Amino acid sequence: MMPKGYINNIGAERLELTSEEFIGRGSKKLIVNFTDVQFINTIGLSIFLSIVQNMLESNSQLCFTNMKRDHREMFEMAGLIKHVKVFKDERDAFNYLNGRS
Amino acid sequence: MPFSSLPKKDFFGRQVELASLYKRVLQADSGQAQNIVLSGHRGIGKTELLKHLFGQLFLNQERIVPFLYTANPALLSAKTFSKSYLSQFICQRLAFEKKDQSLLYRDGITIDGLATLAEELGAVWAKEILDQYEQCSGDPIDALRIALLAPHRSALSTGMPVAVLIDDFHLVKDLHLDGVPDHRLASLFQEPMSHRKTPHVITGYMAELQEMSVVSGLERMPVPPLGSEAVSSLVLALLSVHEAEGNVPPLLLRHLGGNPYYLGRIITRACVKNNPDEKDFWHTYIQEIMEGTLALSWLTVLKGYFPDLGQRRTALAILSKIYYTIEALSGQRIAKAFSLTDGQVYAILHSLYLAGFIRGEYGSFRAMDDRVLRDIVDALSMRELQAKPPHDLEKHFLEALIAQKGQVVRFEMTLPMAREAELIVAQSLEQIGKNLNLNQDSVGQLQIAVIEACINAIEHGRGMDDKVYVSVAVDEDQMEVSVESAGQEFIIQETGEPYRDHEAEKKAGRGWGIKLIKRFVDHVKFEKTAYGTKIVLVKKIERSAGIHKEDTANRE
Repeated sequence: MMPKGYINNIGAERLELTSEEFIGRGSKKLIVNFTDVQFINTIGLSIFLSIVQNMLESNSQLCFTNMKRDHREMFEMAGLIKHVKVFKDERDAFNYLNGRS
Repeated sequence: MPFSSLPKKDFFGRQVELASLYKRVLQADSGQAQNIVLSGHRGIGKTELLKHLFGQLFLNQERIVPFLYTANPALLSAKTFSKSYLSQFICQRLAFEKKDQSLLYRDGITIDGLATLAEELGAVWAKEILDQYEQCSGDPIDALRIALLAPHRSALSTGMPVAVLIDDFHLVKDLHLDGVPDHRLASLFQEPMSHRKTPHVITGYMAELQEMSVVSGLERMPVPPLGSEAVSSLVLALLSVHEAEGNVPPLLLRHLGGNPYYLGRIITRACVKNNPDEKDFWHTYIQEIMEGTLALSWLTVLKGYFPDLGQRRTALAILSKIYYTIEALSGQRIAKAFSLTDGQVYAILHSLYLAGFIRGEYGSFRAMDDRVLRDIVDALSMRELQAKPPHDLEKHFLEALIAQKGQVVRFEMTLPMAREAELIVAQSLEQIGKNLNLNQDSVGQLQIAVIEACINAIEHGRGMDDKVYVSVAVDEDQMEVSVESAGQEFIIQETGEPYRDHEAEKKAGRGWGIKLIKRFVDHVKFEKTAYGTKIVLVKKIERSAGIHKEDTANRE
């Protein structure tokens, strides 16, 4: 998934739906690339919490890549970062999910 | 002197840290206390905090013995260190037990003298330690081990835990055997620090402490700069000590960054003149950074790390480049700019880092967040590298500092209660940052906080005036954003903090807004206004001394 711009309630709900679709189709691995994310607010952050919970409940793996330092700090503050793997870029995340690192 | 010379009533802005340390040290009673390292800039008041902790432990309770030792650069041979450590411990331990403060000041007492004193006072535990110390006096390492373990042994013998407070602990890494440095000596602290009945609270220069393995596992407690209220109280106290009246310019106070040492120096020197005015304070500041005690203290540090004049000049030139460049510089870029090898540059950068002149992360280096130090570096480099006469320096600083006074840029916006209106403010901040050449990281963090403040204002203000008023003020070193709405009152009178909406917090993730704002800005104020409520966010902005981003394409 590659969210763009402002992750508020609208942006994050869209992401939540997409992630549910993935899980519904039986996907067990998901990468969220933050390259084009400009801002995240706490409402968006709280919806990310549901995404992470859904992924954990379905025993799926969730990876974040290309995160800005401040965004990472927000996720840390919310206690979400311990449930996901954070990588520098998509390639590292792919390698991890495919068991190559 | 283990007691602070500063009376408790004049010890401002450290009550939280002092209470926390006191409480934690008392846990030694149940064997729960942890070792702690106090971290903070030079002059921030770590030593004072340690001395006040000693005073509080000595005077206010009887369960934990306080022992304060200040490492002395002149007493770093294993032999002299162990003797001084042991004798001070025994004197302070006896002083606490007998409630006799005169025993705290037995400087220069011999081991025999101590043994006699211990016997007279019936301190069998002390006599045993001293006997053992005498037996090992031929082996300085063994003698040092016995001295360092003396608090633990006394705790075992008497059942009274000991809080070991060590100031300037970084000096311990220079312990030596007859002039030959031996890093094993500092590691002898490992054993006494492992005992729960002898918690150690240490302080010193953080960069140097970080390199000592014995410190690596210790819990760090930051000692931050004084807040604005504590600064105001300290200023009044200092002025009253000198029986002076006067208003220290607010801009100068901000310039001093809540550092009690800097404040003390400037006010003390300015008060040589009766009732100094604004001009006198600025003049004093300029004298201090050019040739006063402040300049001298930093120059002494620089000389300590770079005793050779040629090397010191190179270090100063590198330092000046780092301080004049907004973004962090990598070692390779500096090496290229000065035609030095990577090895040479890293040796210099490492020393500058240890000395507390620069910060380093992931191989890049930037200036410390200390405007006084920046001015001192500026003055030093103008004098030493550019050979500018004192008159030119004075003129330069007067112009630079006076120019700051009028440099406040203001923007005002009125937002409708519309969807994503907060983005308008966030995007505007970005553009303001670009126009004024502000540090992008700081602006980015402020944007995150402002988005939350606007969302709060919109949530609380809906249905009222349907407008949110935002004002942005940028001055020399900070950005202040206030967000005001006609929302319902949401501030608790006593604390100035907003009410917590527990219902909202039950929803996943809600209630994070204020926490996030506090994390990303330096200061937050909640105010009740005639119109409604206002939240004021202050973010310090790093800038170099009027020089902008380096044009790398042209220079390198």
